[in-house]
Amino acid sequence: MKVDIGVRTDVGRVRTNNEDNFKVVPELHLFVLSDGMGGEAHGEVASQMAVEGIAAHCQEAQKNPKTPLFGPHRPDLTETTNRLVSAVQVANQMILQTAERDPTHRGMGATVVVVRVSNGRMSIAHVGDSRLYLMRLGEFQQLTNDHSLVAEQVRRGILSQDQAEDSKMQSVLLRALGVEAEVEVEADEQILMDGDTLLLCSDGLTRMVSDEEIALTLQTADSAQKAVDRLVEMACDYGGQDNVTVVAAKFKKTSDGLLARAWRWLNEPLDS
Amino acid sequence: MPKLTLKFEDKVIKEVAIGTQPVIVGRSPDTDIQIDNLAVSTNHAKVFVEEGRLVVEDMNSLNGTFVNNQKIQRTVLKTGDSIQIGKHHLVVDDSWEAGSAPVPDQPKKMVAPKVQETMVLDSKKRLEMLQQAAAAAGVKIPGAPAGSAPAAAGAATVPAAAPPARARLGTLIVMSGSTDQREYLLSGKLTVIGKSDMATVKITGFNWFKPKIAAQVNKRDDGYYLTKGDKVPTVNGLPIQGAAKLNDGDLIEVAGLKLNFVYKD
Repeated sequence: MKVDIGVRTDVGRVRTNNEDNFKVVPELHLFVLSDGMGGEAHGEVASQMAVEGIAAHCQEAQKNPKTPLFGPHRPDLTETTNRLVSAVQVANQMILQTAERDPTHRGMGATVVVVRVSNGRMSIAHVGDSRLYLMRLGEFQQLTNDHSLVAEQVRRGILSQDQAEDSKMQSVLLRALGVEAEVEVEADEQILMDGDTLLLCSDGLTRMVSDEEIALTLQTADSAQKAVDRLVEMACDYGGQDNVTVVAAKFKKTSDGLLARAWRWLNEPLDS
Repeated sequence: MPKLTLKFEDKVIKEVAIGTQPVIVGRSPDTDIQIDNLAVSTNHAKVFVEEGRLVVEDMNSLNGTFVNNQKIQRTVLKTGDSIQIGKHHLVVDDSWEAGSAPVPDQPKKMVAPKVQETMVLDSKKRLEMLQQAAAAAGVKIPGAPAGSAPAAAGAATVPAAAPPARARLGTLIVMSGSTDQREYLLSGKLTVIGKSDMATVKITGFNWFKPKIAAQVNKRDDGYYLTKGDKVPTVNGLPIQGAAKLNDGDLIEVAGLKLNFVYKD
């Protein structure tokens, strides 16, 4: 599997402080993005704890598979996905405890979206309104549901999609890390197919750039890095109201030589 | 005489009676109710009496004026309404008797956030806020304590989303084709159909020309969704487009398999 990765974060054009963070662990095919909040309470501390804490827990579990899960085991999820959920819970605890110990950090919180690819599957976990998108064969779709008040109102039929996009309440989240001891982590699994591109982003991108423009940029850029550079520039050009962070990863099967394929053919068991 | 009580969180800051002149709320010291906060515009909103009714009107403020968590341009007020301006709110008492009763105790309301600043609701506030928004739109929120939201009269036009059918699990029964089991309980988030090692519904037999991943079924809170893999499946004879929600009894055909989707209790 060959992965073409692009990353970029930018403070935007309005704010003075970048509270977003991301982390990529290439050997685990692990991608984490977090949008911190809390202004004076140092949202960037919360988002950094989120990405570092999640990566560390996954790396630890990779070395030592007996590492206990934080939180209950969910039977509908694979081990990899359970591990991601556990990692998000660990990050939540780290942020909460730091905020409790240190008054200058009280009130900090963060969103997080994390995806890991292993054995041809994506394991996905998220809390808040940072998003994961999938581009597959020209089809662009959002794989995560925002945990925001307006998104919930749309799901319940109280607001239309257009009303939601104009709403002044867009910044009101229903879930975030660092708020309560028990955080409800939404988890999902999808198959990964040859040529899939995954895109993680903070709301600083999606408030400024439409889904259509994001899709078009992904399709037309020569590389993942060029795509994310272009997307961040667009978000800034359109006003850059918030910090903007984008991580993109395009997965390509490594094309085998003829010999390797022939070898596999000969070794493939002939079922009766 | 009607009056407004300016509050910050639960603290009463001052009370202002409304006479024949409009009462201006804003950041400027010239206003009748001054709120010294950057989220408040110089002249933010005015409250006045019009044809015997108390009216609030936003004066093109930057961050908007909210009444009971709904953004307004102009609206009629009644006793107990809460006008939110920045992080402050004004509680309305629209009684006309001289020396009228004290302002009734208000349940603590959410303060409208500044546009730029992200805020998070904890579980309790979340329910409260959804409820208020829903009451305004005439929608019932399942799980909300009864009677705590003012019901909008005769407005029940928007249906609420159906409660999630979490309890029932779907099953795929193999009607024809060669697989490693005859029946699969769909207990996982993701069920893969194909000859791949990661497939749950595994195509066996002479499978050289079968796809590794023919299709996938995703379990969501509101049911099961079928999406294509290397093949586009059909449901009841029609090729699916995007993610197709499965209904009890659907017949799925993909990669030479015929699968019956049923809910089992």
